[in-house]
Amino acid sequence: MGGDGGAEAPIVAEGLVREFGDVRAVEHVDLSVAEGEIFGFLGPNGAGKSTTVRMLTTLLRPTGGTARVAGHDVVRDAPAVRAAIGVALQDAAIDPLMTGRELLRLQAVLHGIGRREGQARAERLLERVGLTEAADRLVGRYSGGMRRRLDLALALMHEPRVLFLDEPTTGLDPSSRSNLWDEVRRLNTEAGTTVFLTTQYLEEADELAHRVAIIDHGRIVREGTPGSLKGEVGDPTLVIEVPAGDEDVALSALAPLGEFRPARSGRIALGLHGGAAAMAGVVRALDGAGVEIQHIELNEPSLDDVFAEATGRRLEGAGDGDGAGGEGSAEDPRAGGVAELEEPMGDELGGAIGGAAEAGR
Amino acid sequence: MTATTARPSTVVASRVPALPMMGLLMRRSLTAIRRIPAALIPVVVMPIFFTVAFSGTFRGLTQLPGYPTDNIYNWMVPYACLQTASFGALATAFGLGRDLEGGFYDRLLLSPAARWVVPASGVLWAMVRALLPIGITLTIGVAGGMDFPGGAEAVLWLMVAAFGIAGLGALWGLGVMYRLRRQSAGGLVQIGLFVVMFLSVGTVPLELQEGWLPHVARLNPLTYILDLSRAGFVGTNAWADIWPGLVALAGSAVLLGWWAMSGLRSLDP
Repeated sequence: MGGDGGAEAPIVAEGLVREFGDVRAVEHVDLSVAEGEIFGFLGPNGAGKSTTVRMLTTLLRPTGGTARVAGHDVVRDAPAVRAAIGVALQDAAIDPLMTGRELLRLQAVLHGIGRREGQARAERLLERVGLTEAADRLVGRYSGGMRRRLDLALALMHEPRVLFLDEPTTGLDPSSRSNLWDEVRRLNTEAGTTVFLTTQYLEEADELAHRVAIIDHGRIVREGTPGSLKGEVGDPTLVIEVPAGDEDVALSALAPLGEFRPARSGRIALGLHGGAAAMAGVVRALDGAGVEIQHIELNEPSLDDVFAEATGRRLEGAGDGDGAGGEGSAEDPRAGGVAELEEPMGDELGGAIGGAAEAGR
Repeated sequence: MTATTARPSTVVASRVPALPMMGLLMRRSLTAIRRIPAALIPVVVMPIFFTVAFSGTFRGLTQLPGYPTDNIYNWMVPYACLQTASFGALATAFGLGRDLEGGFYDRLLLSPAARWVVPASGVLWAMVRALLPIGITLTIGVAGGMDFPGGAEAVLWLMVAAFGIAGLGALWGLGVMYRLRRQSAGGLVQIGLFVVMFLSVGTVPLELQEGWLPHVARLNPLTYILDLSRAGFVGTNAWADIWPGLVALAGSAVLLGWWAMSGLRSLDP
């Protein structure tokens, strides 16, 4: 898997198992995430992603197997693991009755950072995630995107060597999601932070991860770079639109270059041997046959195709209660593109105030 | 992408100093009260209610032969102090339930600090929070005619007992919340506290109780903690009234400390 032999990678799991009563949520997961890598952990809801993260971050004891994070055993040396990692959990774990600045201050103390240094880091992080102006507002009044950015800043307060992001963009609008992706990339590039990212969004894994593991029913079913995984599925599909009446000539010219695939009326879909590099040959062949190209696009196999090939189900749409199917199909190489995203979260402060008042804190 | 040798974390030590963390967690609770002043209403109202209601309702008891004092405030104010101090425990339990439900507790558990620091800060906060209702209760008692046969030492033992009850109640509440992990479990915490309070010598002395009640009250550690709280109000700080209360406090702290910490461990079933 990921790391080379000899040196220890920042995240290593061997035969990791977690059972809840009779239910085995994670089954013999083996992982190795290399230094400076963004590792995508992709799978549908309930696949075992968050359970794995909770074990790796010392929040949950493994039932079996071992894991070492930043060189420390997650069971025997849990405090050292916690000192070395930053974690942004699935539901941004922030107190709506505190301000962003107060939370950063708390986070500094939770990690043993002195007052002055904590304040300096808080200001830098607020600036970095674009929350300086909102720093003294109650977090309960933040939008979903702001909460996620604050959560990321909190996870970075102690300059962790390994960052765990558990579905960091769930519920975010496309703009907020894109901003968060940029920040994760920047962290990885500039600070060399190793990132373990769980997601159910194919595009997110594709965009961010150097390597991806696909988990389903607690087992890792595929692992590799997004490119290699998609490459294993098959050739990309070249979709070409030619003028009406020229289809037969075009088909003859293209036949030696790949196998034809089902396509919408007026279009030709060609499984292209040799991938993108073979596109020039297609253009030359059509030009030589005197066929004008009105539109051309190359559709790479998606990670959803990889997931479908490994499990017999589509990941796209599985999180919406449609465990199999979704809009993609094995014949449609564009299936599994952009996941549906919800609108930003609403104002949760009212509920929080009600709860706290009831508690009489 | 190739793996390199794992380097140790150089940013922070793997252990975090306990005191600053406890201080900040308590400050967080204080900030919540500042942001929601309405949360203070029960803290202020309940001591007034308890002191006035208990002292008024049970005033006639002092006429009974064998009642240890003829000043109802000297009997009831220590009880009201302990009762209202225990409400601090309830607040700690509700706060924990909210943090567990909302996921904030995970953030606390992800600190490299020792695990006991977080529940300990909840216990300390319950004790600090008890200062206000105890102060109000004592003020009402003094205004009503409470006297101090045991002098300043009487107040000392009352404080030991009241802060002790706040801490013990918090340990009880933490243990319940760690196991049930929801705010609604606060009702169970409250019921437990009330049952222990009522099955003691809170309102009626042991000698005047009848049937099975005195047997239960003798087994209830709170009976001895109440005796401690009243040592200087219905007597003159006799050591025989004090040491059983101190033993009861220490024994209960060990038992409920185990209850809370085993509950914390149960968060990872």
